[in-house]
Amino acid sequence: MGLFLNIVIDGTAYGMILFMIAVGLSVTMGLMRVVNLAHGAFALVGGALAHWFQQDLGTGFGIALVAAIAGTVILALPLELVLYRRIYRMGELQQVLATIGLTFLFIATINLWQGSALLVIEFPQALRMPVDLGFRTLPAHRLAVIGLGFAIILFLWWLLDRTRFGVRLRASVDNRDIAAAHGINTDMVYLATFGLGAALAAIGGIMGSELLPIEAYYPLRYMVLFLIVVAVGGMGSILGSFLAALGLGILETAARYLLPDAATISFFAIVILLLTLRPNGLMGRV
Amino acid sequence: MRDHLVPIVMGLVAVGLFFAFPYDLAFLTRVLVTIVLVLSVDLVLGYAGIPTLGQAAMFGTGAYAAGLFAIHVWGDPLAGLVVGAVAGAAIALVSGLVLMRTRGLTVIMLTIAVAAILHEIANRARDLTGGADGLRGIRMQPVLGLWEFDFIGRTGYWYALVVVIVVYVGLSILTRSSFGLGLRGIHDSPERMRAIGAPVYWRLVTAYTIGGGIAGIAGALNAQITQLVSLEGFAFSLSAEALIMLILGGTGRLVGAVIGVALFMTVHHFAAANDPFNWLFVIGAMVLVVVFFLPQGIISLPGILLRHLRGGRDADRA
Amino acid sequence: MTAISRFAPALALGIVVAQAAVAEDIRVGVIAPFSGPFAQYGTQYQQAIEAYQAQHGTSAGGNEIEFIYRDVGGVDPDLARSLAQELLIRDEVDYLAGFTFTPNALAVAPLIEQSQTPTVIFNAATSAINRDSEFYLRTSYTLWQVSAPMAEWAYEQGVRSVVTTVTDYGPGIDAENAFVETFEALGGEVLDSIRMPLSTTDFTPYLQSVLEQSPDGLFVFLPGGPPTYTFTRTYNENGLREDGIMFLGTAETEESNLQALGDPALGLMTAYHYSEAHDSEANAEFLATLRELHPDAIANWASVGAYDGVHLIYEMVEAAGSDGPAAVQHALGLEWESPRGPVTMDPESRTVIQNVYIREVIRNPDTGLLENVEQGIIATVGDLGWDR
Repeated sequence: MGLFLNIVIDGTAYGMILFMIAVGLSVTMGLMRVVNLAHGAFALVGGALAHWFQQDLGTGFGIALVAAIAGTVILALPLELVLYRRIYRMGELQQVLATIGLTFLFIATINLWQGSALLVIEFPQALRMPVDLGFRTLPAHRLAVIGLGFAIILFLWWLLDRTRFGVRLRASVDNRDIAAAHGINTDMVYLATFGLGAALAAIGGIMGSELLPIEAYYPLRYMVLFLIVVAVGGMGSILGSFLAALGLGILETAARYLLPDAATISFFAIVILLLTLRPNGLMGRV
Repeated sequence: MRDHLVPIVMGLVAVGLFFAFPYDLAFLTRVLVTIVLVLSVDLVLGYAGIPTLGQAAMFGTGAYAAGLFAIHVWGDPLAGLVVGAVAGAAIALVSGLVLMRTRGLTVIMLTIAVAAILHEIANRARDLTGGADGLRGIRMQPVLGLWEFDFIGRTGYWYALVVVIVVYVGLSILTRSSFGLGLRGIHDSPERMRAIGAPVYWRLVTAYTIGGGIAGIAGALNAQITQLVSLEGFAFSLSAEALIMLILGGTGRLVGAVIGVALFMTVHHFAAANDPFNWLFVIGAMVLVVVFFLPQGIISLPGILLRHLRGGRDADRA
Repeated sequence: MTAISRFAPALALGIVVAQAAVAEDIRVGVIAPFSGPFAQYGTQYQQAIEAYQAQHGTSAGGNEIEFIYRDVGGVDPDLARSLAQELLIRDEVDYLAGFTFTPNALAVAPLIEQSQTPTVIFNAATSAINRDSEFYLRTSYTLWQVSAPMAEWAYEQGVRSVVTTVTDYGPGIDAENAFVETFEALGGEVLDSIRMPLSTTDFTPYLQSVLEQSPDGLFVFLPGGPPTYTFTRTYNENGLREDGIMFLGTAETEESNLQALGDPALGLMTAYHYSEAHDSEANAEFLATLRELHPDAIANWASVGAYDGVHLIYEMVEAAGSDGPAAVQHALGLEWESPRGPVTMDPESRTVIQNVYIREVIRNPDTGLLENVEQGIIATVGDLGWDR
């Protein structure tokens, strides 16, 4: 019983971090249909900015978090206007190449600016305290990430299913020309959605940094992990990514408890099994 | 350039490079081995339209198979190549039976997962593979019993060159056969091919298996020439770089693979030697320039230039 | 090889005599990561080499010494081999040096064997490497060398039960074997040996299992960077420290990572051969020169491995010039005062015999920085893994 609870708790906490780091990609790649391998690069920018604000400029965690998200969006919007706008129209392979090239440039820039060492972001003291769950303790920041994960999925559900913006976005993604013909400013919709994806990437990079610490090679190191969450969840479904992240988090955690040294093999075996059974992902639309 | 001229030109260039850069054979040989790997990606991705980020699975398998074969069974290079090819093809066939039922991003993720699992298996089967230290103690017999592998790497270079040309010619025959034309049809429109009764699934599995065999040859070649096999043969970065090189050069044309590899590796070689800290800037910029200005890859450059020249002349006349 | 080594001494004599008269230009090829996630190690090698040159000039015994740097990017044995080949053939180097990772070092064995090139390993710490060629000389350490003394010290401190958690690849297994064998021989009990996959990002499940077995100590081996960062945080936040499970490590608190680890690193115990805070004249001089050239430089295992490696190369060049076998012969048994303390090049294992210190991470009240403070020498040892 203790073991089971451990798996559920640690698995949920880990899965929620997976969701946090992948949800931005779920927006750009899942909804906007651009193979955005540079997703991790935006998370890196967010993390590096937060590190800079906190460690070099000495601001508190909260200000660093907000400033870093804002900074990432400010950087992302002109990139959308100049580069991504053209990338959307490319074939998938060209998208792969373009976003990989962009990722290289980001890594090189951050490397030049901050070096290749770990870029630590310290959580406030309140989030570093252990919280007593009765049968064991859990660090408060893990609970905070779980809470934030739920908040984000609720916010996205509201935004995409309950607002005019969501309607316009879905219309634009389904058929850009028809949407434009109905008077939707698709360029603005894409710009806003891309900014949203970048903001989510930055939040994920910062809030996930306790497990996936920020350093210049972050985008390449964890690229496969981001992609797996979105693929298993199914393209175009935020809820799918959410379920996939939680499921994979819990299954991998179970493997770490039960088959400690075979955890990596088990993880990929599960991915293969899931994708074979549901080729479009858990919640994927055909 | 006509396709059947390519291997001849390639051979001539390679002979020229041999005499022009006699001290850089190690690097040039790496380029040749990588060309074989990227050719296999071109068959799978460029012709059959199967998106893959896991060609390292077959490269690594071929390398370990050839390495183990040389150590435990027989040190003959050609026999080792055959073993590598069979091993690579076998892995591709087994995984392909599952992979070819899916499409798009799912295939990509599955190919990554297969390579990751093999990587971990090779890491854990330490007694057999040497684990993270790599498989060592590979001693090759002379090629065809005539040419010893030498310190400077002359034999290795010629040997790799011959393998590249044989693979290239083989692939250009294959891609122009009815099988190859069928693949192109599937690439362009799988639905139409299915509608006219073509066995799409089995053709894809076959193409993936042949691609796997060629990747296995690349791995085996690498193992024989460097006398070692490492876990890096299964690395995601190898698959990713192979894909980048192919798209840079241009997919769906064999010569694209050759040009992409030559360009990427040469730029990397010089950029990394001169300023290792910042070579990612150079590669990143190069990739972006190509994708924005030559979306069909470097191979489209002559055509575009030609059109511009002609366009210019036409404009003069008008 | 046997033929070569038999003739080597005779050959060496002849050349050493000749050398006294003719000065040579000696080239040293340094193969190390200068790009990618491990770029700082290559930079540290280069900085240490420059520091040594600033102190001792650029020639030894009248021979001008030039260093040629080549970037291997990371773990890439193929590239390491190809770079070595290029350095030996085109640049005609007389010595090779560098090598951060074991697979890269192992990859050049056939080449240095054939060309009789002395190869000084600045880091790669798996015992088995030096068995592959007589031309390897190691100025770093081996995992046995530091892990076995850690087990002895822990037992002395009253630690009787231990769980080992190591990363599941060559060096991790080496460290685990060394610790477990030594600890059990002393009468200690190893409750569990956990091997964690290299790609592990969340260590909570492993550490939760450790917590539930509540051993006296936790022996750890992790690669530097993100895994160490996450692991030490999880160790603190999941109550292992509170439970008094002593952290027993080796390279985890090395200086290039240490400040990033932050407060969670306080009090961690490690056994290792070098601390930037080592109190000696040689270390003070080394650090002074290093900081003069590179004010932001951090000194750690990479720096001291390279610094001593260059010293060894200077000694060899002075005695034997470009004659590989004679140079190696001269290096064997050589003693010198390193920034880490006194060292001797073991004639048998060709790895330095050195002090291993037990250190605790403490915040220096003056600078406010974390330091590995030495609590004493626990052993003066050669490569204990050589005979395994």
